[in-house]
Amino acid sequence: MANDPQVNVQVGRLLRANTRACVAGCLPSQNFPPFGSLVSIDLGQEISAYGLVSDIHIDDDGLVRQLVTTPNISETVIQDNRVNRNVPVELSVLFVGHRSAGVISHRLPPRPPLSLDRVRACGEGDVCAFTSAGSLGYLRFILEAQDLPAADLLAAHLLQAGRAQRDHGDEQWFARAIDKVITQLRDDYVRLMPVLEALADVQRELGI
Amino acid sequence: MSEPLHQNESIGIVTSGGLKENLHVRLNGTPQQVQEGSFIVIDSQDWKFYGIATDLQLQSIDPRYALEPSRARLPEELAGLLDRQTLYTNLVVLPALMLERGPEPDSADYSAWRRAIDSGDKEEPRPMPVKSIPAHHADAFLAGAGDVAEIFGKPEDESNFVIGYTREQDHPVCVNLDKLIQRSSGIFGATGSGKSFLTRMLLAGLIDHNRASVLVYDMHNEYGLDDTASDTGENVRGLRSGFGASKVQVVGLGGSATIRGSAPDFNLVLGYSDILPEDVELLTRELNLKETTATVLDALVQSLGKDKWFKAFKAMKRGATETTDGDKKVPAPDSVAFWANQNGVNVMAAEGLHDKLRRLFNKPYIVENPPADSIQALVEALKKGKHIVLSFGDYESDLDYLLVSNLLTRRIRAEWEQMTNEFRGKNGSEPRPLVIVVEEAHKLLNREMAAQTTFSTIAREMRKYYVTLLVIDQRPSQIYDEVMSQLGTRVCGWLGDEDDIHAVLSGLAGREALRGMLSRLQAKEEVLLLGWGVPMPILVHSRRYDELFWQDIKTSKKAGFDQAKVIKNLYGD
Ligand SMILES: Nc1ncnc2c1ncn2[C@@H]1O[C@H](COP(=O)(O)OP(=O)(O)OP(=O)(O)O)[C@@H](O)[C@H]1O
Ligand SMILES: [Mg+2]
Repeated sequence: MANDPQVNVQVGRLLRANTRACVAGCLPSQNFPPFGSLVSIDLGQEISAYGLVSDIHIDDDGLVRQLVTTPNISETVIQDNRVNRNVPVELSVLFVGHRSAGVISHRLPPRPPLSLDRVRACGEGDVCAFTSAGSLGYLRFILEAQDLPAADLLAAHLLQAGRAQRDHGDEQWFARAIDKVITQLRDDYVRLMPVLEALADVQRELGI
Repeated sequence: MSEPLHQNESIGIVTSGGLKENLHVRLNGTPQQVQEGSFIVIDSQDWKFYGIATDLQLQSIDPRYALEPSRARLPEELAGLLDRQTLYTNLVVLPALMLERGPEPDSADYSAWRRAIDSGDKEEPRPMPVKSIPAHHADAFLAGAGDVAEIFGKPEDESNFVIGYTREQDHPVCVNLDKLIQRSSGIFGATGSGKSFLTRMLLAGLIDHNRASVLVYDMHNEYGLDDTASDTGENVRGLRSGFGASKVQVVGLGGSATIRGSAPDFNLVLGYSDILPEDVELLTRELNLKETTATVLDALVQSLGKDKWFKAFKAMKRGATETTDGDKKVPAPDSVAFWANQNGVNVMAAEGLHDKLRRLFNKPYIVENPPADSIQALVEALKKGKHIVLSFGDYESDLDYLLVSNLLTRRIRAEWEQMTNEFRGKNGSEPRPLVIVVEEAHKLLNREMAAQTTFSTIAREMRKYYVTLLVIDQRPSQIYDEVMSQLGTRVCGWLGDEDDIHAVLSGLAGREALRGMLSRLQAKEEVLLLGWGVPMPILVHSRRYDELFWQDIKTSKKAGFDQAKVIKNLYGD
């Protein structure tokens, strides 16, 4: 069930948020969603926020600091530390749109989620629905984000979305996305070229 | 008027430009879909703009995209996507005409617009010279057949003659024959560019249209009887073979002239009395005459008479002397010197002129008593609506050409002037328009001659006396500029020489753009139509002159007639 790509799976709960981004905490055992993948957070009143996993960080705690220098750590100790840790794994999420009364829009959610709201990884169906709505306007959030590895975030996202779209029969989606990226960045040669090179890898991986 | 918009797809959109600096169209696709000289239509709201492609430029939104091939860094497909957004071609269009097209035909505004025209509150829109420009992002198209017909006329209209086809899409381009003969016109191009073929075709069109008589000074015997193409060796039909002797007559210069082995319809023989002093003066350069010539000629006419001087002067002996009683040698009474002394003329000058005129005295086509007044016969035939090709036969020297064509033209112009004056004075019928065709026109219309010849008078006074010229030349730069600038319709094939190009474009708008186009025409069978006689400059590849052409000419009348009838039946008058 946890691995079924068609359904949304809860992966954690909200730690903190602002209008543009939020951070969720989850246990490593919860099989947290990969970098660049789409997640959604139910805000109540038929509104949910969509975001991309833009960073994953694993903070240390006192115990790890002690263990790290121990010469021979047993496998059970390692597993125990990972599963029962005090500090959660933190997922940073960059908001890219929302759904309100069933309508998807590529604008920021009207308000950020609240603490402990559930964060779910989107299944392929949801990924397709979100990425096909409108005309790829949400890519601007990725390209405009500061302090993020935009090229890699974009590549990771387009790999997930491109695969979902391909498997749902839209082979052209990926090219449309690239076209959009070029439109957004064509005035910045120095930025665009490395992004396209990263996307060339994705294309090869997708085999389309 | 309410023809469907375009069969063609938009090739791009207007991005910048102006009336003075041409319009710029960003092409959607590759540059090769358009060529220099293409006829371009731009749709902008209620207006259509017509222009000609004068340049294509490769552009990029950042030079780095152009300098580094994207394929070197990216896979094919991505590179394609990138190039499509960053590299493009700019088409430069020289705008020429605009036409109010009205609102969309199925809109409510359209019927109101149409009603205003039909009720006479608003003029029926007509193409007019550009006074405005299309808006940003107006769509540009390659002209469709309908656009070409809108501007250059419909091929089926009686006064229109298809002279060629647009370069890319082969839409027929017409010249209006009535307009063509309203002013003098010219056909230019380097040797072998197809001037003679084009002239044959145009003349066939004029003769068929039958609104003017045509007189061809056929220096190289090309137009009347069948000829053989020098490059392909194929038979080339002449105008008389095409139309028959009832319409086109071949006149041979000289009593026993044969043209390419056949006898002409009649012969042109000049009498001594036809040669006037001005005919001789025109030959100043050809005969290398001295400044004293005018004085001597004056004295000849004074002492011998305007129509007798030539005969008398010819009869005088050069250097004849007799011995007096006192054993002195004096000029004999029948000598040139004797006449000179008698009339107070410098003997050396008179003898010099006599020497030089010997070339004329010996011309077999100038005789004392011609069997008939063949000049008058020729003039009468033209007046009656026949067309004449005057073949010079073996008399192919410049001297023959200059003398005969000038003499004849002077007589003809005088005759037409008289007819015109009678007509204006209400005691005569309207003269039949006449087109005089001159090959190697620079021989007659160069700077030196232009002041004296009837040809330049005709070119300058336009159709005041119902006579216009069709000049054909490979060196337009040698034609007097004042004459050049009077030429209404100019049909120009490839020219290599800067001066020639400059001359052909004299007095026209958009010269800069047209100049490059002229120098890049195909060497054969491609011409630029220019000047007052055409609505806007356009590049066409010439219609083929072959048997098919003649079939078209022979059936065109009927086809045109039937069509007119059909339209009448359908729509009433
Ligand atoms: N419209 C045409 N139809 C068929 N053939 C053509 C046409 N125009 C040109 N040609 C070909 O090109 C050749 C040269 O054409 P043409 O004799 O008319 O040249 P020109 O310009 O009169 O040259 P020149 O100045 O030497 O008299 C012809 O022999 C013919 O084969
Ligand atoms: Mg010729």
